[in-house]
Amino acid sequence: MKRLSLIAGALATTMMASPVLADGHLRISEEPIELTIQMNHARYPIYEEDWPVEQVARELTGIHLINDTVGANMRTDENTGRTEALNLMLASGNIPDIVGSSRIRDFVNQYGPEGAFVPLNDLIAEHAPNIAAYYATRPDIEAAVKASDGQMYYIPYLPDGKYGRAYWIRTDWLDKLGLDMPETVEEYEAVLRAFKTQDPNGNGLADEVPFFARQWPEVVRLVTLWDGRAHGSDTYHDFMIEDGKIGHGYVGEGYREGIKNLARWYDEGLIDAEIFTRGSSARDFLLSENLGGSTHDWFASTSGYNRLSADIDGFEFKAFLPPASPSGRRIEEHRRILVKPDGWAIGFENEHVVETIKYFDFWFTEEGRRLANFGVEGMHYDMIDGKAIFKQEFLDAGPVNRSLYQVGAQLQGRGYFQDYNYEIQWSNEFALEGIALYDTMPDLLIPDFLGVAFNADEQKVYDRTWGTIRDYMLERQQSWILGNGDVEADWDGYIAQIKSMGWDELIGVMQSAYDRQYGG
Amino acid sequence: MVDQTSSPPKVRTDEALKTDRLTRTLDHFRREWQIYAMLLPTIIWFVVFLYKPMYGLQIAFKDYSIFRGVQGSPWIGLEHFQTLFANDSFIRAVRNTITISFYNLLFGFPAPIILALMFNEILHATYKRTAQTIVYLPHFISSVIIAGIVITAFSPTVGVINTVLGWLGMDSIYFLTQPEWFRPIFVGTGIWQEAGFGSIVFLAAIAGVNPSLYESAVVDGANRWQMMWKITIPSILPTILIMLIIRIGNVMEVSFELVILLYQPATYETADVVNTWVYRQGLQSGQYDLAAAAGLFNAVVAFVLVMTANTLSRRFSRTSLW
Repeated sequence: MKRLSLIAGALATTMMASPVLADGHLRISEEPIELTIQMNHARYPIYEEDWPVEQVARELTGIHLINDTVGANMRTDENTGRTEALNLMLASGNIPDIVGSSRIRDFVNQYGPEGAFVPLNDLIAEHAPNIAAYYATRPDIEAAVKASDGQMYYIPYLPDGKYGRAYWIRTDWLDKLGLDMPETVEEYEAVLRAFKTQDPNGNGLADEVPFFARQWPEVVRLVTLWDGRAHGSDTYHDFMIEDGKIGHGYVGEGYREGIKNLARWYDEGLIDAEIFTRGSSARDFLLSENLGGSTHDWFASTSGYNRLSADIDGFEFKAFLPPASPSGRRIEEHRRILVKPDGWAIGFENEHVVETIKYFDFWFTEEGRRLANFGVEGMHYDMIDGKAIFKQEFLDAGPVNRSLYQVGAQLQGRGYFQDYNYEIQWSNEFALEGIALYDTMPDLLIPDFLGVAFNADEQKVYDRTWGTIRDYMLERQQSWILGNGDVEADWDGYIAQIKSMGWDELIGVMQSAYDRQYGG
Repeated sequence: MVDQTSSPPKVRTDEALKTDRLTRTLDHFRREWQIYAMLLPTIIWFVVFLYKPMYGLQIAFKDYSIFRGVQGSPWIGLEHFQTLFANDSFIRAVRNTITISFYNLLFGFPAPIILALMFNEILHATYKRTAQTIVYLPHFISSVIIAGIVITAFSPTVGVINTVLGWLGMDSIYFLTQPEWFRPIFVGTGIWQEAGFGSIVFLAAIAGVNPSLYESAVVDGANRWQMMWKITIPSILPTILIMLIIRIGNVMEVSFELVILLYQPATYETADVVNTWVYRQGLQSGQYDLAAAAGLFNAVVAFVLVMTANTLSRRFSRTSLW
């Protein structure tokens, strides 16, 4: 990584003289201002001053950020422990001028009202026309980032694009067995059964794993095939929102029906026997070994497995539309969420609050947004017909998203509005074909639950009840799927148990917080 | 030292006594300073990692906010403890902790002793050393790897255990999702991992037994079995009791990283222990105060247990930690 940033730094210096950028209309301060920053997020554990993107931003705005990150774990590819890093920062008593992180929302919404972070509502209204303009078009998102006192304490990372996960199937197996693409849940079941019993991988063993998943809650999501609901947002087991009412999939009739059928599927071997323990390598292992038949997973990364056609004769793994439920409804429960709990905030000791909010606003200008999404013009992309198009050598230099993180673009610890065009340019044909297919069905996606901010009393109720209830729900859920209990027989007792654990009170505070936040 | 040369015993004043004691103490330190220097790192470790954090225990009685700090957070009395004990799943976690620990004690405690006694009976030196090395090895493998091995071994499709069951004509069992299988697997894994390493202390105790006892036993015509029962075990009994007291003090400390790696919602019923409960409910959701309350409860239980065990041991065998 060190070598890479050196190269990046060298490249940046060569292009620093670029005249296009120097007209000064984005300049916030004539005298350069130095601000300290803690930046630690899922994509990169630290802030680097020599990122080309940052050098350009510094040139344009006159704001110079100085890395002051504590608790960064530089050793792992997947930088875990961001929340711990935030807590460490807070416990050390030193809050930098800017704090950017994954999962910052609950953190700033808890400690902001206590005085650790600067409230942003007035600052945005007075000094951040671009952020204000964005919120004017999306009042639901503005509501979603607010704390219980009605203040915003962070500027979020706003993902773009619609589809996240999709249903995937081995289309070459379908062809081999003379089957059509499944359109309904009955057909899907028949296909999975054929995968199990008719030996599509041709090794003479019934070792095919018809449905598998890297994250076991994806199997629970299959209840949507029977009109149930599972995960109300891109957080597993989350609450859901339906016509302004908070609810939860795991107490619904469709869920009961779905679990009953999933238990049957599991019993018949249509679902991976090791679904709960196989873990994150499931997709990699089962596809590479020519065993896996179908899954529900991300467009971008899953489509990449078609490279296996080099090793496995005829291998083709394609997205197909969510099968229709018995009532004829097709839904794709997962979508790219509209607003992430990631982004950045202003620490209470910041002496340049106005300049900082203007700096945040810079990333919502046209130039700033392009910089945050595509990197530096002339270095990583060129403007062709008014569009940012990545340079071929940049696309060829390895995984594009990884390269972008390493030049300081697409950072979750920065509040910015993603531009999905950045991803389309390097999505492979299978992903694009799948997205086009999903786009033919306008009603596939359903609204996400964007979260609520509790006041202190509501928080107490939530803390007391939800953890215990969730544990109980998951415990029963797994047992039913595994056949250690019968959902039909247990259902009334299950509901009664959840009620006795304080369900009505919990839903009550969720609803009151929701009404306050989103205006009932 | 009493001065024996002076004939009329001097009446010493309190003052003189005090100076005398001080001189002697200083002398002692001057003479033995190397020993104290060696003790120093341990003392520092205790102060930094065990005594200083005790200051933070007060957050168990506070509505703690990291930003306001330990001092600035308001007192709320026993509210966190009320929350804990009103929670069925916490009570279940306490019960599971005690049950798992009891099994650990019942099966896990004798294992290293038996192993040490068995090693002691091996006469072939190379074989003995090889066998010892092999049983020590699992201790040095990290829990993550151990969990990986266990998950693979008990896998319903490719696992060794289920393959053997298959040969015997039995159906495969998805062990790690069956609540009734969790404890046997967990306790068994613990024994496999630690019994070898734990036997070292008992082997050392056996090595310290006076050889003349065995010689006279041989003269009296005792066989190896009798020597083990009548000489070895009684001789290492103090060590066994000390280890038992220490073990009882750790009853609430089930190795929770292994539980986290092996459990599933489907097995919470038997697998969820206090520390995993605290991890899920307390740390993951940032409720440090509640986690501290649960930790304090753990410590109090462990303290009472260790005091009881120590007292009982002192009364009945005159062996004790203090």
